[in-house]
This record gives sequence, structure tokens and C-alpha cells, in this order.
Amino acid sequence: MKKFLLTTAFIATVCASGTAQADKLDDIIASGKLRCAVVLDFPPMGMRDDKNEPQGFDVDYCKDLAKALGVEAKIVETTFPERIPALMANKVDVGVASTSDTLERAKTVGMTIPYYAFEDVVVANEKAGIKSWEDMKGKTIGATAGTYEAIWAEKQVKGWGVGAFRPYQSQADVFLALSQGQIDATVATTEVAEANMKTGKFPGLSLAGKTPMVPDYVALIAKREEYGLLNYMNLFINQQVRTGRYAELYHKWISKNDPADLTIHGIYR
Amino acid sequence: MFDYTFQWSQAMARLPQMLDGAATTMEVAILSMLIGIVLAIVLTVLRRSPVAPLRAIARTWVEIARNTPALFQIYMAHFGIASFGIHLSPFTSLLIGITFNNAGYLAENFRGALKAIPDTQIRAGRSLGMSEMQAFRHIVLPQMLRVAFLPMTNQMVWAVLMTSLGVTVGMNSDLYGVTQDLNALTFRTFELFAIAGVIFYLITKLITLGARLLAARLFRY
Repeated sequence: MKKFLLTTAFIATVCASGTAQADKLDDIIASGKLRCAVVLDFPPMGMRDDKNEPQGFDVDYCKDLAKALGVEAKIVETTFPERIPALMANKVDVGVASTSDTLERAKTVGMTIPYYAFEDVVVANEKAGIKSWEDMKGKTIGATAGTYEAIWAEKQVKGWGVGAFRPYQSQADVFLALSQGQIDATVATTEVAEANMKTGKFPGLSLAGKTPMVPDYVALIAKREEYGLLNYMNLFINQQVRTGRYAELYHKWISKNDPADLTIHGIYR
Repeated sequence: MFDYTFQWSQAMARLPQMLDGAATTMEVAILSMLIGIVLAIVLTVLRRSPVAPLRAIARTWVEIARNTPALFQIYMAHFGIASFGIHLSPFTSLLIGITFNNAGYLAENFRGALKAIPDTQIRAGRSLGMSEMQAFRHIVLPQMLRVAFLPMTNQMVWAVLMTSLGVTVGMNSDLYGVTQDLNALTFRTFELFAIAGVIFYLITKLITLGARLLAARLFRY
């Protein structure tokens, strides 16, 4: 009887310490589900197909990560500002949501190495007579609130001291405002700009060249203290590049050109 | 399962910007209220008008203002009007949207307040030689505003809170817009919105206190 009690106590201790030490990575594996925050109003990274099912680069990326972990992917739609609350309130495990990896933000949330890099272009209303990014000076510029390009554009407008900046809640609102002439130009990622122009819903818009900003490197996000998960995702991202899956997804969703180089010379290919 | 380390100093450093935003929020709310009261009085008069089309206009306004979401009204004041080629700044759109809403609700409050004023008072005024307009201005209106004073305070509080919908039309200088901008920059979501919540609470509390003091002064017998 004594032996039985001891054994029971031992098993209980092991189990208890086991759960206490389990980190997010263990939780995901144990639950069999990976919940990803994805912005579905951001084609071609995240959007919905004809049957209202989530699709896009970020959606596939989440599915790949789930597959690597041997679990089922669950896409949780969030807006850009909702990414952090969703993560902190444990509604999602990771964010696969084109999150720009600024140092300011990294004080709050854990970031992986870049999994994608955006270049931004100016999209202008043809009536505004904008031919390059410098022509935006003094004009009214809009962008999607909370994005890297919005932060950049607002800084430019403040620096110029003339013109106005307007953040809208979604990419769709920005393009609506732009085609109505409410704003003269927007700064958007090449991917989003081309995807929106292709829909044919916004006549009277034209591409007005690239912006001089540093490419917008975006990271997967998780809680800052989840080292195990962040570490795993870093390796996963590199494997995506190394195996050619990154280029494959790029060709599938974005364009036939070469994707941005995410290798580290002499270390990672 | 909510683990998050609050870093108040990071957010408090942004307090001056948020207070600037609060000033803009007050500006929109006060302007929308002043214009809204004037419009509501006009609507109230129109609703009693013997001319049927005028009554219909006033009734339609009140119906739309009270039976559609404020978000829709503000969105329409920006994107809806723009489809007719009229481009308004986010500030103006927000002001128009909230004013439209205020006028509709206040007109309904005024209608209720009018019911509290016996018809005999107007007749007494008329028998003293006042015109219909004079009787309305000198006898009905002051009493109506007194009865409707508390509902007006409510509407003022509601106007302050409605400014937060300005972000849907690209507003970024009001309290909510500023908070959202700062959130995108720092991801300090919980601290920033907690501070914004406290500022909103203080503003509305001040309004109700101020209204109570004002009422005590204005409506002494």
C-alpha cells in the first residue's frame, strides 16, 4: 500500500511538473490545432475565395506551419489592430499576418526572422497628376491604418509640412476613397496594389512608381516569452526558403518574378 | 490565460498626444451639439407645420437618424456623399454624421417635451395678443428646453462617444484615432486603450457634472 502511494505521488509530481513546464509549442502539439491570426482583407496575402473560404499566401503559410508541426491549421480572421489583443487573450497561437518587424513593436510582441518582404508603390488617382512618390508632396495621402506603409506615409507628410494624411480601416476603404478622389494617392505594397488593380473595380487609378522606403520585412508573431515556439518558427521559415516552398508560394499567389531574397549569405541559403 | 506585462511608462509618454486628441474630440462633440440643437428646433417646428411636404422632410430625417446605426450615418457622410463628387475632410464628415444623428434624436426629445406643455398655455398666450410664432418662442420653447435638458445631456455624452467612429472615415486627430495610430506604432494596445477609456470616462463625467450645475443655475424657481 505504501509503495502504491509513493508511486501515485511520483506520477502526480511528474504530471504536475510536466504541465507546469509545457510551453506554447507543447500546447499546440498536444491540442492538435494551430490557431493562426490572419488578416483576410489583404489580398493576395489573405482573402476569401468564392465559397468564402480563407485563402492566400498567409493562409497557405499557416497551413504549412501546421503541417510541419503535425497538427491541424485553424485560420482566425483578425484586423491589423486586433492582432495583439487576439494573441494576448490567447485566442490565437501565432500571427501569420504580415506584421512589420519594428523594434518598437518587438518590445511588446515576439518576432521571428522575416518570412516575407514587401516593396511599396504609389497608387494615384489619374486626375491628381502624380508621376512619382515626390509628387505626393502637398497632396492628400491615405493608407490602411496600422500598416508599415501608413506609418511611413504619415511621417513623410509630417516632414513635408504640407498636405494631409488619412488612415482608413481597411484596404478596401482606401481604394474606395482613392477612386472617389477623396484622397489623391496611397502607398500600398506592390502585391496589394496589383491585386486591387486587377479586379477592375477601381477605374481611373494608375501606378506611380516605387517608394524609397526600406523593404517592409514582415515576421510571424507570438508571445514574447514563447522562445520554444519562436525558435521553431525561425527554423521553419528558413526551411521554407531552403526547400523552395517560399518561392513556390510566391509564384502561386503573387507573381512569376523572383521573390525577395531572404537568405543570409554564408549561413542560410 | 491572459499574460501580458503592462508597461505604463511606454504609454504614458504618449499622454500629451492623447490629450490633444481629447481636445479635438470635445471640439467635434460641442460643435455637433450646438448645430444639432438648432437643427432639432427647426425639425420640431417643421413637424408641426401645416405644409405636408415639410412635415414629411422632418419625419424622414428623424426616422433615418434614429433607426440606422450612427456608424452608417458617418460612413454615408464621407463615402456616400463622395459618390456625388462632393469631397469632405474626415473632420467635416464626422461632424455632419454626428450632427445629423444629434438633430434626429433631439427632435424626438423635443417632441416628447412639448407633450408636457399644456395647450392651454399657448391659447393663453394667443389671447394676450401674441402671434403663433411669439407664443412658441416665449412660452413653449423655454419650457421645452427645460424639460428636454437631461435628455440633451445624454445626447452630448453620446456625441462624445460617437467621435470614436471617426476612424472609419480616416479621422486620426481625435482621441480614438490618435490612440489607434499609437497602437499601430507601439503595439501597446492594452495600456493605450485603458488610458483612452479613462479619458473618455472623465470627459463624460465632467459633462454630466457640468450639466447638473448648469441646470441648478438655469432652472431655479
